[in-house]
Amino acid sequence: MKINRRSLALGAAALTLPGLVRAQSGTIKFGFTAALTGPFNEFGEGINRGAQIAVEECNKAGGINGRMVELAEVLDDQLVPDRAVQNLRRILDNREIVGLMCPSGSGPTLAIADMIQADGRPIINPQAQTPTIVYPNGPDKPPRPNLFSISIGNLVESEKLAAALSEFTRIGILHESTGYGVTGADLVRREIMRRKPAARVTVESYNQRAQDMTAQLVRVQRANAEAMLVIGLGADFAVIRRNMSRLNINLALFGAAGAVTVPYIEGAGDLVAGTRAVNHAAFGRRPMHGAAQKFADLYRAKFGTDRWYGPDAANPLISLAGTVGSGYDCINLLIDAIRRVNSTAAADVVRALDQTKDYEGATISRISFTSQNHVALKLEDLGTYEMLKRGDRVVLELRD
Amino acid sequence: MDDFFFSLLLAGISVGAVYALIALGLNLTFWTTKTLNFGQGSLMMLCAMLTVFISSQGLAITLAVVGSLAVVAALGVFIERWTVRPALESSGGSMGWVVSTLGFGIFLQGMAAKYFGSQAVAFPDVVFTAQDFVTVFGQYISLQYLVVLAVAVALILAFELFIRRTVWGQAVHAVSLDPELALVQGIPVRRLILGSFMLSSILAGVAGVLIAQIGGTVDPAFGFDLVLLGFVAAVLGGMGSSLGALAGGLLVGVISKLVGGYVSTAAEHGIAFALLMLALAVRPQGLFGRPEVSKA
Repeated sequence: MKINRRSLALGAAALTLPGLVRAQSGTIKFGFTAALTGPFNEFGEGINRGAQIAVEECNKAGGINGRMVELAEVLDDQLVPDRAVQNLRRILDNREIVGLMCPSGSGPTLAIADMIQADGRPIINPQAQTPTIVYPNGPDKPPRPNLFSISIGNLVESEKLAAALSEFTRIGILHESTGYGVTGADLVRREIMRRKPAARVTVESYNQRAQDMTAQLVRVQRANAEAMLVIGLGADFAVIRRNMSRLNINLALFGAAGAVTVPYIEGAGDLVAGTRAVNHAAFGRRPMHGAAQKFADLYRAKFGTDRWYGPDAANPLISLAGTVGSGYDCINLLIDAIRRVNSTAAADVVRALDQTKDYEGATISRISFTSQNHVALKLEDLGTYEMLKRGDRVVLELRD
Repeated sequence: MDDFFFSLLLAGISVGAVYALIALGLNLTFWTTKTLNFGQGSLMMLCAMLTVFISSQGLAITLAVVGSLAVVAALGVFIERWTVRPALESSGGSMGWVVSTLGFGIFLQGMAAKYFGSQAVAFPDVVFTAQDFVTVFGQYISLQYLVVLAVAVALILAFELFIRRTVWGQAVHAVSLDPELALVQGIPVRRLILGSFMLSSILAGVAGVLIAQIGGTVDPAFGFDLVLLGFVAAVLGGMGSSLGALAGGLLVGVISKLVGGYVSTAAEHGIAFALLMLALAVRPQGLFGRPEVSKA
């Protein structure tokens, strides 16, 4: 049989056409890589649960213009950047994936950012805080065209933390030695100095999972600090708080959003009382705004009052917003954009995300993006909480 | 005494005592088989996690600790039988046991993650809380630190007495020098080897419980860094020496904390490995070790 170019082209078209048709008429597919297992899975498994709830809610309501949605590629990276890169390669090889969510932390997200920018498909960042993820050339330069963020970014968080610390003159900052910790500490220090040039800030670092922080704490103590801020994750924050108690160090204690999670409350026990922290304001307000309350109800109906939600059915943990709610919002934003443009083409969805205006999310009450602003969180979306002991429970009360 | 220096010294002694316990555990198997159990870190983790699990079922914390120690002791026997012995027998003394003990440790981590979850869980206070302390000459001394120090020093001294003053201790010494000759003389070499792995695992478990109550949380990855520092302590003090383990552990702990306090906290961890390199270059047999002599 003679095979010419034309018959080859026809054959190829015949092979690809069913796929195209399937892609048009089948489910709308999303994908992401996150720390589903490993010591940081409260974040990765959290956004996975949020994404599941969003997909189920959408499908129950009839999908997007009649098409169902699906989490087609959900891979585990354990917060390891190399693994996140491998996983994303596999996800991007699946051409049916039309929207993505960034991994749980700054390290993996920074590792995949260039790759996803080159690919062009829309991606939304739920949790990673480093500003260069969205603005690789600085916050005053244009963002990556297809990468959007609803996380508590270091820039806004540092402003809120500096405001909370403004009553003190001598301040210690203890941060983990990761990109998140280093960037966060630097931004907070600069913001404190901008607000109060006479302030004295002592900055110390620690490695994640260190079991003793005496050296760091006594250095902060020797600097006569009146207050100390911890930028790190909950389990390490618990070690620091217990260590402070052993050394009889009594400073006003502040934590960044990542620090005030369940491992801190469980690990430090009664010692958490008095700790102040910055986190999403949405879950601390009463009544919660509609989308936040609806999300909390959906979560409780599906997963119950578990580790992420907390034991009090009426009052979900504040950290539920950042650990789970942000995943829910990311997928809902993608769904909303696809619905508005009635297309799954990458350029169309990115354009629709650029035009998102006052979308009511669970974690941020009004989410807006423009082509120059891809960060949704604003200062007023954050609250300063104080941890209080009520009976046998620890509660966070919104102070500011 | 300067508060700053005293705080660093006390913390250094306390964590150094834990490194010493781990080093002693490594020494025990080194005496009898010339091997090290690199899965010690996972045994520390497992003992701490089992303690959390058992106590959460309503059992008293002391019973939970004892039960967990029994489990890791049994695992010590398993490690000797299924990871070390086959490696030694099949390859005539090659380094296969390094991979097999490390591999078993990683397997234990995976199992712990599967059955207990991979997130950090709170570890209960065993005897004292982080708020309990005594005041000596105006200095606050944490009772948790004192307990760690007391338990570690007591165990190490007991082992030293056991080796020097008892018949079984002499038998261990004989096995460490020449296991074949010891067997010919009727010493139960196999039982001693099994016993050394059991005791080594128990020491790892005790170290795990002690350090977990300091930190307040434990997760499946717990223990891996600590076993590296225990290894540094063992080499620094002299492989095979109990007092060397104690001296090495305290030295690593105190120097790390002093460097962290006076120089930079970023250098705190690295200084232990700098000490290791220095010891290997200047005194390879360690502080209390004897140089090996080969007779033709």
